[in-house]
Amino acid sequence: MSVLPMKRVMICALKKDRKAVLELLQRQGAVQVENPECPPDDPIFTRTDKSAEAALFRKYAQSAQDALAILNHEVPGKKGLLASLEGRTKLSVDEFEALVAKRDEIQTVGRAIQALDRERTENLAAVPKIESQVVALEPWLGYDLPLNCKGTEKTSAFAGSLPNEVPLQTIYESLGQYADRCHVELISQAQVQTCLFAVCETGCAGEISDALRKMGFVKAPDTDVNPAEETARLKAQLEKLDRRNGEIHAAIAACADRRGELEFLADYFTMRAEKYEVLGTLPQSPRTFLLEGYVPAERADTLRELLESQFHISVELRDPGPDEDVPVLLRNNGFARPVESVVESYSMPGRGEIDPTSLVACFYYILFGIMLSDAAYGLILAIVCGVLVRKYKNMEPGTRNFLTMFCYCGISTTVFGLLFGSFFGDSVNIIATTFFHRPDISQPALWMTPLNEPMKMLTFCFAIGIVHLFVGLGAKFYMYWRDKKYLDAIYDVVFWYMLVGGCIVLLLTLPMFTNMLSISHTLPAKAGTVAAIVAGIGAVGIVLTGGRDSRNWVKRILKGLYAVYGISGYLSDILSYSRLLALGLATGVIATVFNKMGSMLGGGVVGGIIFVVVFLIGHALNLAINVLGSYVHTNRLTFVEFFGKFYSGGGRKYQPFAVHTKYYKFKEEIQS
Amino acid sequence: MSMGIVLALAGATLAALTSGIGSARGVGIAGQAAAGVCTDDPEKFSKVLILQLLPGTQGIYGLLIGFITMTQIGVMGGSSDISLVKGLLYLAACLPVIFVEPLSAIQQAKASIASIGLVAKRPDQFGKAMIFPAMVETYAILALLVSILAVFGVSALSL
Repeated sequence: MSVLPMKRVMICALKKDRKAVLELLQRQGAVQVENPECPPDDPIFTRTDKSAEAALFRKYAQSAQDALAILNHEVPGKKGLLASLEGRTKLSVDEFEALVAKRDEIQTVGRAIQALDRERTENLAAVPKIESQVVALEPWLGYDLPLNCKGTEKTSAFAGSLPNEVPLQTIYESLGQYADRCHVELISQAQVQTCLFAVCETGCAGEISDALRKMGFVKAPDTDVNPAEETARLKAQLEKLDRRNGEIHAAIAACADRRGELEFLADYFTMRAEKYEVLGTLPQSPRTFLLEGYVPAERADTLRELLESQFHISVELRDPGPDEDVPVLLRNNGFARPVESVVESYSMPGRGEIDPTSLVACFYYILFGIMLSDAAYGLILAIVCGVLVRKYKNMEPGTRNFLTMFCYCGISTTVFGLLFGSFFGDSVNIIATTFFHRPDISQPALWMTPLNEPMKMLTFCFAIGIVHLFVGLGAKFYMYWRDKKYLDAIYDVVFWYMLVGGCIVLLLTLPMFTNMLSISHTLPAKAGTVAAIVAGIGAVGIVLTGGRDSRNWVKRILKGLYAVYGISGYLSDILSYSRLLALGLATGVIATVFNKMGSMLGGGVVGGIIFVVVFLIGHALNLAINVLGSYVHTNRLTFVEFFGKFYSGGGRKYQPFAVHTKYYKFKEEIQS
Repeated sequence: MSMGIVLALAGATLAALTSGIGSARGVGIAGQAAAGVCTDDPEKFSKVLILQLLPGTQGIYGLLIGFITMTQIGVMGGSSDISLVKGLLYLAACLPVIFVEPLSAIQQAKASIASIGLVAKRPDQFGKAMIFPAMVETYAILALLVSILAVFGVSALSL
């Protein structure tokens, strides 16, 4: 309904109570802490830098998160869309205390998990290296000396490979005159390489080696034992690594029951980090500290009583000054609350602006309904979202609002679907015709069928648009009136009502125009005269007042003339509502296409099966894409056309110092 | 049998054809940007997916006009005896969709890519990020609207 009033709170307390006071405030989650800067020459109050501690706690929280990620990868926990709807688990005081006492041990578990994961990563990196060594030894398996054997006292030995397949004959030929002082043995031969072993007198080792090198000789891999043994050793090593990784997996999996504790640890350190971040901004004297911030007025007194009952403390409350940038918290009833997030995603109300949520909500559901406009889709949306909201009581408020919004949008869609006679498109008629040979049965439209009367539907969309825009203008009028700017209200709102309203009435008196829009009644010419006069007064008024910031009359009139040109903006704003028709038709026609495709094989069993398959896939697709389209364009009509008339936003969202945890909720009375 | 049906069907198929090409390209390039964001932060998947899908609607509008035209000219069953003038008129009625949808899909995809970049850096600004591409879509919708009205208008004529 409104923007909640805020109070500025100033707390002065003893330093010995600092921890307890901060923790109480954090659990209450009511105060947005905003401490003024301490002047550097202030003799009493200084800030203490706590960023190092805060960073350390953030690091601990992150490390717990990392351990959790590893654990979740190893043993997937409850996951999926529905699990995320369950919200955070509640924790009682005793459970909280017990877990805090265990925090060092939990941290050790987290670190152990991380260490194990690191070890496994290293192991996994080692595997391909060893495997490539095994592959390199394969051609040498028939060789039974260590590959690094250098020969005996009188002889030198070479083990290595030549590129390509080289016959023994060719090798001896290339050795030339040294051939008879040398013995060459082929170990293995393949297309790409020839592995050989050469032994010669020590005296001619250099020459032999040079001759071989010219042929592209490469030394064999270095091993101290013969290749078969080495291969066995490597394979054993691989097996060991594999076994070790299995052990690591088991060891991490064994920690699966610590998942909850690790989640707690992440939350706990996040909470402490936030506390230390606030602590760093507090002005502190040797014995006291100060804390300032904003608190919603309705909670201010309870908070003060709570603090005063527990501590020696001074809590001052005052109304914020007119120039203060007060954070904004919205409060709405159940009907409008779901669209708060829509308003929020545009901008929070700026200083002096009203909370537009209720106004947005009324039209939001209607516009969405017209765009989706299929009774069956509406029912699916409403029932699915409604059931989820009812089933998961503990859902986070943001998700709950979102689903509730779609539930209401679904109800509105159902209503418009019935009005326009659409239920999975024309499925009723198609099914009756194809399977029961009763083409006379069809879903009756309670009001009209947009596909048959597109102009009538277009007129209806424009009418909705005009009402929407005029309500937006009305909100602007209300804001001026409330601030006692009566003249501005007349200049900026009433004149526009006269001009735009007059023009619309004038158009409705023209038979050409009413015929085009298929409106049955044309207003009498007299009404046209009156409307023209009203519009004229509005236009003159805007010319005279549109540029009233300028003192110079010439400038003022010129600006005023430009302001009248704004009528073209109204024209395009109203035309923009034609998207209601276009998107509505899109839903209906695509549904019809799928129905038609499904029924192409006619009745009978095969036809029936095909129909069901096409029907399910087609309508699921159509529903998904049109819900997205309707959502996007409802937002657009709200943000651009509607907000353009009165709302600029720019407020700051209220973000209290509180327990911002991911997994657990802590109940109020926890005293840690 | 006149050439009317040929021209009319050409209009219908071209509407689906060019829009399909435009949307395919639009969703494709937006998808590349979206996938890039997901490599860094898979949790943004649902948000960037929505942004990726925005240029996909043009293809649907093309399908819509193609389908409406085909039912009106009797290709999907019924009489398909259409005069040359009427065939030309159907083709003309499809022109806004044939030209505006593919171009707007690609332009919208560019806005989508920029918005995906926005969401990657500031996920809280999703609401605004969605509006920029939606602005482009306005013109796709207007073209669709004119085509729908024209197709229905032409079928009401007796030429």
